[in-house]
Formats: sequence, C-alpha cells, structure tokens
Amino acid sequence: MSERSIDNSMKQDAFSKYHPAVNLLFFAGAVCLGALFRHPAYLIAAMCSSLLYFFALNGLKALKTILVLLPTLIFITLINPLLNTRGNTVLFLIFKRPYTLEALIYGAVVACIFFITVIWVNCFGKLFTADRIICLFGNILPNLCLLLAASGRILPKLIENSKQIATARSSIGKGGEKEAIKDKLALRFKILSALTSVSLENSIVTGDSMKARGFAAGKRTSFKPYRMTYCDWLAAGIMTAMLAAVFGVLLGGFAYAEYFPGFGIAEMNGRNIAGVLIYSGYLLIPSALQIKEKIRWSISRYGI
Amino acid sequence: MEHFKIRDLSFSYSGNSEKKNLDKINLTINKGEFVIICGRTGSGKTTLLRHFKTALTPYGKRSGEVLFNGVELEKVGAGEQAAKIGYVMQNPDEQIVTDKVWHELAFGLESLGCEQKSMRSRVAEMACYFGIQDWFHKSTAELSGGQKQLLNLAGVMVMQPEALILDEPTAQLDPIAASDFLNTVRKINAELGITVVITEHRLEDIIPYCDRALVMENGKIIIDESPKGLGKLLQEKKSPMLYAMPAPMRIFCEADGRGECPLTVRQGRDWLGSELGDNPQIKELTEPEFNKEVKAPALSLKELWFRYEKDSPDILRGVSLNVPQGSISAIVGGNAAGKTTTLKAVCGICKPYRGKIKIFGKALNRYKYGELFNKCVSMLPQDPKSIFVKKSVREELYEMTNDSEKINETASLCGITELFERHPFDLSGGELQKAALAKILLSEPKLLLLDEPTKGMDAVFKKSFARILKKLKERGVTILIVSHDIEFLAEFADRISMFFDGGILTTDTPQGFFGQNSFYTTAASRMSRDIFKNAVTAENVAELYLKNKGNTYEKVR
Repeated sequence: MSERSIDNSMKQDAFSKYHPAVNLLFFAGAVCLGALFRHPAYLIAAMCSSLLYFFALNGLKALKTILVLLPTLIFITLINPLLNTRGNTVLFLIFKRPYTLEALIYGAVVACIFFITVIWVNCFGKLFTADRIICLFGNILPNLCLLLAASGRILPKLIENSKQIATARSSIGKGGEKEAIKDKLALRFKILSALTSVSLENSIVTGDSMKARGFAAGKRTSFKPYRMTYCDWLAAGIMTAMLAAVFGVLLGGFAYAEYFPGFGIAEMNGRNIAGVLIYSGYLLIPSALQIKEKIRWSISRYGI
Repeated sequence: MEHFKIRDLSFSYSGNSEKKNLDKINLTINKGEFVIICGRTGSGKTTLLRHFKTALTPYGKRSGEVLFNGVELEKVGAGEQAAKIGYVMQNPDEQIVTDKVWHELAFGLESLGCEQKSMRSRVAEMACYFGIQDWFHKSTAELSGGQKQLLNLAGVMVMQPEALILDEPTAQLDPIAASDFLNTVRKINAELGITVVITEHRLEDIIPYCDRALVMENGKIIIDESPKGLGKLLQEKKSPMLYAMPAPMRIFCEADGRGECPLTVRQGRDWLGSELGDNPQIKELTEPEFNKEVKAPALSLKELWFRYEKDSPDILRGVSLNVPQGSISAIVGGNAAGKTTTLKAVCGICKPYRGKIKIFGKALNRYKYGELFNKCVSMLPQDPKSIFVKKSVREELYEMTNDSEKINETASLCGITELFERHPFDLSGGELQKAALAKILLSEPKLLLLDEPTKGMDAVFKKSFARILKKLKERGVTILIVSHDIEFLAEFADRISMFFDGGILTTDTPQGFFGQNSFYTTAASRMSRDIFKNAVTAENVAELYLKNKGNTYEKVR
C-alpha cells in the first residue's frame, strides 16, 4: 500500500490508502458498469454497494445528501412516461397521451442509474483530492496539474484576503453595517476592486518565486507522493479480473433487460447469478476493506 | 575562492535615469561567506540582491557586470541558476505557489525536470533537516507565518544551492519565528558551507555571526566591514544605521567605549562588568511614577469573555484593562493569544458574550452606529494594505473627509505629503504604515488602536513613527498598541501590559515591566541587569555608564 493515508479532515478510509491509480480503476469500472446495466438484479446490487460505501465515507451526514436526491429520483420516475409513451400496459391517459406501466418502470430504472452514478462520483470526489489527481496525470499534463495545485492555493487565499479587507473596513467605521442597500453594494464593489489589486500585486511576487525556482527553465516532471506497491498491483489485478468477468456477462448479452414494448428481462440463471455475485463483490471491495480494517483494529486493541 | 564578483554595477529603473538606484557597486563575495547588507528602506538593497539572479533582475538601464563562479551570470543557464542560487523574499504567503506542503517542497525539482527517485530522496532529506515531516501533508494555507517562511527556505534548499540570497526574510514574522528562521539560516551556513547574502532589519540575531556587514546608502556601498569594527565606522560617519544595530554595539558606541566592540548580550555584559565592576556608584535612573489607579480611563475593559465559534475554546477569558487618557499604552504577549481580538472587541467587530467595555466612560453598546468611529475610536489593522481601496494616496485620504486643509495638516504630521500621487501598493512597509495612520487619523480619533504598527519597518523609520505618536499624545490622543516589538515599546510606551492565558496579567511602566523580566525583555536590560537596575533601553544603559564614568550624557542624535 502507498505509505500515506488521506487528509486528516476525512474519516479513516482503507481504500484510499491504495495508489490513486487503483482508486481510479475502481471508480472507472463502477461508474461505467453502473451506467450500462439495465437489469434489476445488477441495479439493486450497485445501489446497495454504492450506498454502503457512501455511508462508510461520510457517516450519517450521507443521509442529508440522499434526502436531497430523493425528490429528484421520484421526479425522474414520474416524468418519464409523460415523455415516453411506448409500452403495452396503459395505466391512464394524460394530456390525451397514454401513461404506461413500462415507461414508469423504465423511469425508475433511469432514476436508479442516475442515483448510482451520483453516489459513485460523490465518493470519487471525496477520495480524489487535488494531489491524487496530480499524481495520476502529472506526467501527461504537468502544467495543467500545476495550474490545479496553484488554484487550490489561490482560492482560499482570496477568501481570506476579502475577509481581511472587510474587517479592516469595519475597524475604521466604513464597514457599512447599517447603511442603505445602495451603499452596501458600493462597499462590496470597493472590496472587490481592492481585492483585485491585492491579488494582482501578490501574483507578481508568486511569479517571481516561481521563476526563481526554475519555472519554465526546462521540461517539468511531477513529484509523486504515492508509490505502486505489491498490494496495489495485487488489488489492481484482482479488480481487472473481476471487471473482465462482469463485462463478459454484459457484452455477451446475458444480462439483457428490455422494457418496451413489454418486459423482457433475462432470468436469473447460473450465469447471471455468478455475474451479480462478481459484480457485487467488485463494488463491495472498498467497503469490505474498511470493515476488515475496523475489525482488525479492534482485535489488535483488545487482543493484548 | 570568489563566488560572486560584481564589477562597476550601476543601475537605474527606467524613467528616472538621473537617479541611480545602484551606483558603481564593486563587491566580491567568497564561497561560504555570510554577508549582511543593511541600509534604510530605499537604499538599493533589494535592487542589488535581485542582480544576483538573472530571472529576477529588474528592467532598467544597467552597466557593469556580475560574475558567478567566474562566469558572467547571464551566460549561466536558467536551470543552473535556479538550482545553484536560492532566493527567498519577504512575504511568506505570496511566495508559496501550490496548495500542499509536499508539492511546494518538490516544486523546484519538478521545474528542473528531476527524476522521480532522486526527487523523492531529496524532498525527504530536506523535510527532515527542516523538521517538517509532521506537516508534510498539510495544506499550505494552514501554516503559520513562520512555518510558511521556513517552507519557502526548504523549497529552495531542496535544489541544493551553492548560495542563498535572502531579502528581508523575517520582516513579516513575529520575533520568535524570526529568530528561529535566522538560526536556521545560520545553521545552513555553518553546517553546509553555503554562501549567504542577506538583507535584514532585525540585526540583533545575525550581526554577531556574520563575516562581513555592508551598509548601503543611496545605491552605494558606504561601509564594508567585519561586525566588530562596524559600530565605530557608523559612528564616525554619523550614519543613522547605528540605531538599527544590536543593543550591545549601540551602548558601546554611545558610551564611547574602548577595546573590542561587544556584539552579543554576553559579550556586552562582560564588557560592562570589566569597565564598571559589579557595584557601580549610580545604579539606577529616576524612574517615572506608576499610578495603578486610573481615574477616568479612556478605555476600560472589565472581564471580557469571547470565542469565535460556538464550540471553539474561549480566546478572551476575563480581560480587564484600564487605559489612562493621553497615554501610550501597550499590550505584549505571545502569538494568537488574543491581543488582536481584544482590539477588535473595542471596535465592536467582535462581540464579547460577557463583560463590559467602556470608552470614555460610556458603554460601547450605548454608542450609536457611526458615532463610535466619528472623532472617537479608530483602529490601524495589522496589514495596513487592507484599508486601502483607491488608486492613490490622495484619493484614500479624500475617502475619509473633504476638508483639504485637514488632509494637508494630517499628511504633514505623518510626513507623507510627497507620497500623495503614489499608488498605495507601491509604498514601502514603513511608508504604507504612515499613510494608513494618516488615513485613520482623519476621523480624528481620541482613542487610537494600533495592531503591530512596526512590522516591516526599519529602525530609522520606527523612530520617526514614534515621533508621530508622541505628537499625537501631546494633542491628547490616547494610544493603545498591540505589538511584539519590545525594543520599540521599551523606548516609547508609558505603560505595558502582559497578555497571557486569555487575560491581562500585569501592567507596569516599561522600566518596571522589563526590569523585572529576565527573558521577555530587551537586550539592553538582559545585558545590564546584574549591574544596573531598571535600565531597559540602550540609551538608559549608555547614560548610566557615562554617569558612572563621570561624564554627562547627551543624546547624540
């Protein structure tokens, strides 16, 4: 495993201790497969495992995100039959158009796919801090990655500077707390213009500091705080094998699911059971690692 | 062996060709030397330092040449220069390019196209040498000023330079962080033999350890001496730079001492002891009286409690303080102790959840909006840049009032009349502070709050700043200063309060306060405490010395 753990600000997470490339492989696989499967069994597997990891990463705060997402999901489900009138089973007519059961179910499927994608991307965002992205793409796009790192520096500084200016204004009685909206706007504008000058001024120094350390003096390389270790290669190998199996099931057309004009969904034969199991196994890797680590930790603590 | 050689270097910024910013500089710096360049703001120190690196050389009219290892500097490739000549500037914040500490450390090596494996080991090595393993993965935004500047130094050192050029690296740091930084520089010079060229205002920590000190004036090098002989030369030339020198050297020169010039507190103490013995006749100067009871205080704080967020720890834990009218009072204390927060509470920016603030006898919350800042209270924030929002100093002043007579008067009081057309951001640290002071004075405050006013000022500037404060005091303005600069306060404040553990611990006169402390006190006091009582400034010590020798003391300047 790469020797470092993630930011202190995040909960302890076992999967993020692997090399960013391994993380990226996992999320690429999870998001692709999540978007391709229409079969309910696979959808349920993806829903459950993505949710599990989401909770493992965020704790109970995850509930808030899900509560926000829920109305969107219901909306997608209900709106689909209004746009799509195909399907055999007409439930009722609305705006003189048929509202079909098939379209409603398909709406739910689309909502599920949407949900799975959002959750995976969310987890991805949580894991992939700027330095992990830089580590992955540093060699291909060193300047773009530097830009990313520099903006990660500038944005917090801008916020800090604007606060400072606002406080300074208040300390000479020009903070505009109780003034008319027009004056308040004028004040905001003043702060903004001062902020611009300060930032431009500062950027000259930053530029000098970059030049002084040889920026643009030659071809850039990129420092990587992560290393591919035995564990990383092993994890990558296992994941690739599992991905290949699941893609095999998908591309072989064994997990077909048709909703129009009537339902035509592949039955759960041996191939599909194996497919769902491998698929769930793949998606559960991060959560499983986390649980394993937790158990290990408590055993080692109480086993003394 | 010659490392840098500068021959007949003259330079002027384009536009004003009659004024030369560098005038026929001839200078040789040998390998492994530790050279200090001192001089007043605007004497050309930075301009000279920038000629040590082609990438930073300013645009303008230039003649003469700079040789690095015997080769003309411009012919040395950019990559080689980046690696071999390290350059650290004044602002710790703006020099940092990236968001993570590890990335900042690696930045230089990345630019040079260093290969992964050696980059790894060099970064690791530097992180250990500078003791930054613990914050290796932190965001750069989380670091303190001192840590940021150390990171900047480490980010340069990682390229394994042969020479370090440092341009006022500690101007923005508090005294403890500053002496940490300078000690590291010293260590680098002593242990690794790296050539160091540094400009500094804070000379106490480095003058004793440098090999040569250069003094610049109007773009010329007027003195090139070893530190031992520096004091006498400055005195001969009547240079105001003497005032910036370490206290032992100043005392020695002002007392017209003979023999070898002391540089450190220990040497100074030995010298004083050998001259006067342990028990001189006159041991103390008449001490100003200290009234503990303050009648009708300008500002009275009673048991203030405050915290920034609901769950964060209390910053102010029972702050009580009385500031007498027409005095210059000061609060000293550690970093982030709550001194600035106290000032903010007086301005009503922070609202204490317990306790009482009375300004001129009237409770703070009884002041109507606008009333407080009109002819009553004004605060100069720590970074004076942040109160400027306009394009010229004149416009800044007119933002406060339309009375041009008042503006002219205040400007001449603060000595900024000739800066009217300049952009605020083009001013030097000291000028900026004065312009900011003028701006806030236009609201005619009776109570003036100053947050670290002497940060980034050179010693001579400090003196003229103190003169302004004294004039204000004569007009009856009450001044409350929060500062780390104990040397400044010992000389100019009437009362000093110590802030510690969320409250004001003691209040006393500078003589009483620094006379009692044995660590947190001025160099003059540390040097003379065994022999004299309550001598806290270099002038005090020199005066007592001369009195004991039977001479009268007159202020030279």
